[in-house]
Amino acid sequence: MTTAPEPAIHCHSVSRRFGSTVALSEFELVVAPGSILSLLGPSGCGKTTALRVIAGFEDPDSGSVTIGERTVVGPGVSLPPERRRVGMVFQDYALFPHMSVAENVAYGLSSGELGRVYEVLELVGLAGMGDRMPYELSGGEQQRVALARALAPRPTVVLLDEPFSNLDAPQRERMRREVRRILLEAGATAVFVTHDQAEALAVADMVAVMREGRVVQVGAPHIIYARPSDPWVAGFLGDRVLVPGTAGIGQVVTPLGAFPYRGRANGDVQVMIRPEWIHPIPDDDGAATVVDREFYGHDQMVLLELPDGQHVQARIGPRPLLDPGDRVSLGIDEVVVYHGSDLAAPPVVPPAD
Amino acid sequence: MRQVTVFIVALALLGSACSDSGFGDTVTVYSGRSEELIAPLIERFEEQTGIDVAVRYAGSTELAATILEEGAGGPADVFFAQDPASLGTVALAGRFSELPEDIHAAVPARFADAAGRWVGVSGRARVVAYDTTVVSVDELPATEDGFTASDWRGRTALAPTNGSFLAFVAAKILLEGEAATLAWLTSMADNDAPTYAGNSAIVAAVDDGQVETGLVNHYYRYRLAVEGPDTVVENYFFPEATAGSLVMPAGAGILAGTPHRDAATTFVEYLLSPEAQEYFATETYEYPLVPGVPVASGLPPLGSIPTPAVDLSLLATELDTATDLVAEAGLL
Amino acid sequence: MNDRPGGAAPQVQSPEIGGVLEAPPGSGKRYERTGRAAPPWLWAAGLLVLVPIGVPVASMLARVLGASDGAWDVLFNARTAELVLRSALLTLLVTTAATVIGIAAAWIIVRTDLGAPRLWGVLMLLPLVIPSYVFALSFLAATGPRGLVADLTGIAVPFLDGLPGAWLALTLSTFPYVFLVTAAALQRLDPALEEAARGLGASTWRVFRTVTLPLLRPAVGAGALLAALYTLSDFGAVSLMRFDAFTRVIYAQYAGRLDRTPAAVLSIALIVIALGILWAEQRTRGRASHYSHRPIRRPTRHRLEGRRRAVAVLFLGTIAALGVIVPVTVLVAWVVRGIDAGEQIAVPWNAVAGSVVGSVLAAVLAMAAALPVVVLAVRYRSRRTEALERSVYVMFSLPHITVALAVLIFAVRYLGPLYQSLALLVVIYATMFLAQATGAAKASLLQVDPHLEEAARSLGKGPFRVLRDVTIPLIWRGLLAGGALVFLTTMKELPATLLLRPTGFETLAVRIWAAADELFYARAATAALVLLAVSAVPAYVLIVRPKDATS
Repeated sequence: MTTAPEPAIHCHSVSRRFGSTVALSEFELVVAPGSILSLLGPSGCGKTTALRVIAGFEDPDSGSVTIGERTVVGPGVSLPPERRRVGMVFQDYALFPHMSVAENVAYGLSSGELGRVYEVLELVGLAGMGDRMPYELSGGEQQRVALARALAPRPTVVLLDEPFSNLDAPQRERMRREVRRILLEAGATAVFVTHDQAEALAVADMVAVMREGRVVQVGAPHIIYARPSDPWVAGFLGDRVLVPGTAGIGQVVTPLGAFPYRGRANGDVQVMIRPEWIHPIPDDDGAATVVDREFYGHDQMVLLELPDGQHVQARIGPRPLLDPGDRVSLGIDEVVVYHGSDLAAPPVVPPAD
Repeated sequence: MRQVTVFIVALALLGSACSDSGFGDTVTVYSGRSEELIAPLIERFEEQTGIDVAVRYAGSTELAATILEEGAGGPADVFFAQDPASLGTVALAGRFSELPEDIHAAVPARFADAAGRWVGVSGRARVVAYDTTVVSVDELPATEDGFTASDWRGRTALAPTNGSFLAFVAAKILLEGEAATLAWLTSMADNDAPTYAGNSAIVAAVDDGQVETGLVNHYYRYRLAVEGPDTVVENYFFPEATAGSLVMPAGAGILAGTPHRDAATTFVEYLLSPEAQEYFATETYEYPLVPGVPVASGLPPLGSIPTPAVDLSLLATELDTATDLVAEAGLL
Repeated sequence: MNDRPGGAAPQVQSPEIGGVLEAPPGSGKRYERTGRAAPPWLWAAGLLVLVPIGVPVASMLARVLGASDGAWDVLFNARTAELVLRSALLTLLVTTAATVIGIAAAWIIVRTDLGAPRLWGVLMLLPLVIPSYVFALSFLAATGPRGLVADLTGIAVPFLDGLPGAWLALTLSTFPYVFLVTAAALQRLDPALEEAARGLGASTWRVFRTVTLPLLRPAVGAGALLAALYTLSDFGAVSLMRFDAFTRVIYAQYAGRLDRTPAAVLSIALIVIALGILWAEQRTRGRASHYSHRPIRRPTRHRLEGRRRAVAVLFLGTIAALGVIVPVTVLVAWVVRGIDAGEQIAVPWNAVAGSVVGSVLAAVLAMAAALPVVVLAVRYRSRRTEALERSVYVMFSLPHITVALAVLIFAVRYLGPLYQSLALLVVIYATMFLAQATGAAKASLLQVDPHLEEAARSLGKGPFRVLRDVTIPLIWRGLLAGGALVFLTTMKELPATLLLRPTGFETLAVRIWAAADELFYARAATAALVLLAVSAVPAYVLIVRPKDATS
């Protein structure tokens, strides 16, 4: 693990268009060495293009990318991919079909580093499978080989393009944990691209949310989840409840109640609440009524109707089981306030109930 | 991968061996005479002298043009042509070197270049080959002009790219002038004269029944008779001295600037040797030009053929015009 | 694509054309264009392939344009007008006949229950192995008062030469192209359309005429134009048949005159005409590719009964007989005849060596030259790479005699030791037929995931090593198929060999033609049989078992 002060990857104002489509628009990204960062965004937001620019398979129209201490692309400079020391794991794994597992993994090494091949195969949990051919392997095994192959030459960074989208659901869960473990154990700096927010939040140390060619928020998963920078990011990262509110001095008033507020906004605001921050308490005098519930085994989503007719969702544990028609009162942990479409107001303290 | 590379390289070497001659002395001969006729003679030469001969077979006119285009430093060492017009063309361009005196003097003067640049090797007469089963001798006209008549439509074959034919046209220009020659050529074209690539093709076609008559050289008929005694082709010599009864030699010359001068000289000498002359007499049924070699039986004596008095060295001067006229008439 | 239940006409990897006509629908994953510009050395290699033909032809054009008026006379006179009309007539006749035969055969084999579709399909394609001049040779040797037929049956069949002979020989040489594209198009046609028409009461013939045929038109048009191009370009058959078409006249002008300029002028004229046809073919092909590529369910095959069935069998049988059986029989008969007459019949080993060496070298060179073009076309696709591909196809379409003449004139003046060298001849072979190699290689490369090459790059290997380690191992089958095509075509090639070969270098093609031209039929037949025998192996792989030939 390196503790170099400069970032492992620094993309500065990278722009790229394909014809009339803008893929990247002054894209900025900084990746700390040894960390796992996820580029998260809807399809078409440019995340794969960003990855390919870093790897060297696309040349940006403007901007620069630095990996470690070297500027790999910038004004007057464009290193070919083979000189960037960037490992790449493709969505379809791209294992060489005419080479064995060991040959695949050894491909990026200079000859004679057999030991490293075994080391890396063991790291990914495929010790002893060196002689197999790619077509003999399952999806998860192929992915491990792809990862091993990318890690073997000790690249400065490893890039993964939608690494889990080709796996079925149970495999996906398992491989997420595995890949994170492997990357951490290898001490690698990694960037992976995904459109699945659950994946990003679960696997990455830092998440960069992209929209229409630029990064709109970067942060640790728990922070960006709890403090998304705008309602769109909020909605992209998870379920959200959005209600109108009125901000005044010291407080913001919403259909769910009034909360302390120390921001500078005044007047009409939007208030975002995560369903799990809403706690319905059975109360015959409660203001809200249960309309419907979806039971998921480990939790349930409850649809509540407020006195003014609005519906909000709350996420609670499996017990107690609430039925439609039950009256509840609501406890709220915290809210996030948005003024216009700007970045959120400063953090909000839990209501003093 | 390695084996494939070795295989390719071996092939390439084999390929160049196919085209290049081997060790020892070599000589490159451009031959306007057909392979069928002279390959055996060349083989004998190779066996006797150990000199490798690379022969390029094509039409005499085509080879003359090629030699001119190649210019000095071209690959040819010897030009062995069917007719004096092709030889003369190369001589006029200064591409031949002078032959040694003994070679040049081996044949009668009218069968060699006055300036010693080429020498005749075997004599041939222009004749009409005809299918005896469908044409009788009395029908045949006294000169080639007779074939332009409408009742000869489509019945007389020509070989417009053939060296001997073009030499004949050149002779006609010398004897009768351009206008008359063009008129004859045009009439033949209008008369639907079938065209063939060469003399042997015409004679074979006559024998095959494809066409009734053709203007060719005399010796083809005899070779055909040897191969298949039931041939129906006969030669008809024009009774009048006309361009169509031209007697001219096939001959050879040595290209100036050839690096294989000695081998080339040996080759030309061989063509005039008793052995080769006998070959021309008995195998190809031509007239040997070196005195003292008997003609094959059955051939009319050379002196008895009514032939026009044409200076053969002048044929070359009209060759270009001849080809133009042939093209203009629509035969080419 | 390969295991279509309804029909089994061999698939689109057509011999002679490779995948140039059209890549099979659905081939190739959707690929991203590589975002980096193609490296300049790749472009240099790609453009280099255009030089061996481009430069001499341009030089010949310059010479012609700068020529004196006298040379232009050969172009602007009544005789040349006759020449154009004659060639046009032959082309029209051949194209029409080839189209009718090709469509009919394709429809019968693909759309009816005649049976044995694979066998019939192969029989319809086998004529592609036989050079046009061998067809000509066999018909000339069979007819006439002393021909084979007269010998065997006593009936003096009229001599088949001139226009009728050329027409027959060239029709048999070209109808397989039309057959191939039509069969492929028929297999992709949605049978629901024809079924709907029948449900509305149309008879089989009416359905064919009003529904099937119009839908087939673009594909058929492309095949027909290809047949026209081939006819215009053919030299061997028309010269043996002694039919004064353009190519024969060009050769006569070259061989019979001291000045090469008139031949050059006529060559340029022929090139212009060929380019015109090519342009028309490209436009037709463009429309053909707009067809839907939906997966087709099995089409119902029409039932043929009684008289109809007999007619169909008779038709296909006649074509197969004329296209394969008759020529081979005539050749064998003539060899036997020659042996009986005491002629010296021997395998012409020198010619065999020349043919094989020349063809193998040409195939190898073409495969190598195809790589940069194909990598540019597939991985760095742009308007410019498409122009490069089109140029390669133009080179393929130029009549060989005109290319040979241009190269000969250029070489004798400017290329010194390369003049009359085997190296030059092989280079010209490879560039003339490059389109076959690129077509096959391109179809292969489209199937290869570009991520494989990118993965190799990300692992530190430069473009050359990636080509060697990843790309070539994955496309070698397609590349080899292209090489086999080039081998076959070079074996048959005649005019360029005639004009450019080294002294003493002989090929089977030259030997057949030269012998046939002098009516030495037995000798010609021997060489022809040897040629067919040598061509048999790659032909078998390409025609009978196309699945093995493609990756």
